[in-house]
Amino acid sequence: MSLRADARALPGVSGPKLAVWWFLASEIMVFGGLIASYLVFRLGGTGWAESSHHLSMPLAAVNTLVLLSSSYTIVRAWVAAEAGEGRALRLNLALTILGGLVFLGLKAVEYTTEIAAGLTPGAGIFWSFYYTMTGLHGLHVLGGVVVNVVVLATARASLARPHRVELAGLYWHFVDVVWIFLFPMLYLS
Amino acid sequence: MSSARLHPNYTAVWLWLLALLGVGLAASLLPGGRVVALAVVFATAFVKALLVALNFMHLRFESRVIYAIALAPLVFAAILALALFPDFVWHGPPR
Repeated sequence: MSLRADARALPGVSGPKLAVWWFLASEIMVFGGLIASYLVFRLGGTGWAESSHHLSMPLAAVNTLVLLSSSYTIVRAWVAAEAGEGRALRLNLALTILGGLVFLGLKAVEYTTEIAAGLTPGAGIFWSFYYTMTGLHGLHVLGGVVVNVVVLATARASLARPHRVELAGLYWHFVDVVWIFLFPMLYLS
Repeated sequence: MSSARLHPNYTAVWLWLLALLGVGLAASLLPGGRVVALAVVFATAFVKALLVALNFMHLRFESRVIYAIALAPLVFAAILALALFPDFVWHGPPR
């Protein structure tokens, strides 16, 4: 079997894409287990809503807007890569990276405010879950930013192989989907 | 596979996502029944996740294998949660 034939793992699915989806499946289990534990603890306990009221819902709403919009810009980057439009590819990747950095910056502001108010991970079960879930998610955002920076730095290669942008986008969208659920669970309920 | 099929109207999807975010936020802020508000908040979150997965992640164009890889861990996570539910369903929250 030639290397080229081996690169296509299944009919209609490339090997790299299959690998990314397997990775995302493992990530779904990580966040799924955490979310399942949160739901069980929250539905079986009291005082969670009162703790949640200490969080900054406006900042988190802005962060949600930023992540949703960065999902849009990275998919525009993929379209640009397929069309061979280097300028649009770089612009949309840069906007996506900026979105990730804004998200992390606002999260840092939130953490700083909360910790200054004594709301540390040891302040109660809600705060343990809050810092674990948002911290793990934040690390994933940081990882996504690094991946997107690499794709941007090698934009010329991405124009020749647009699937690089598609694969980076798959991961970025997953991070977005996780936040779509974390936001209402932690801030709105 | 045509390019039009590969690339749905991403701008329309993005605008829908922003609109749903607005609906969820409005529902959480409006006075009234908490249960209804939470139902709207989580329903909009679910639809947003579907829009991202189906359009931005291109699940609507993917093979069944990719669907299986994506859905299997979700089912396992749901089973995990349901397996832990009997405790508070039968005993209720602590008083």
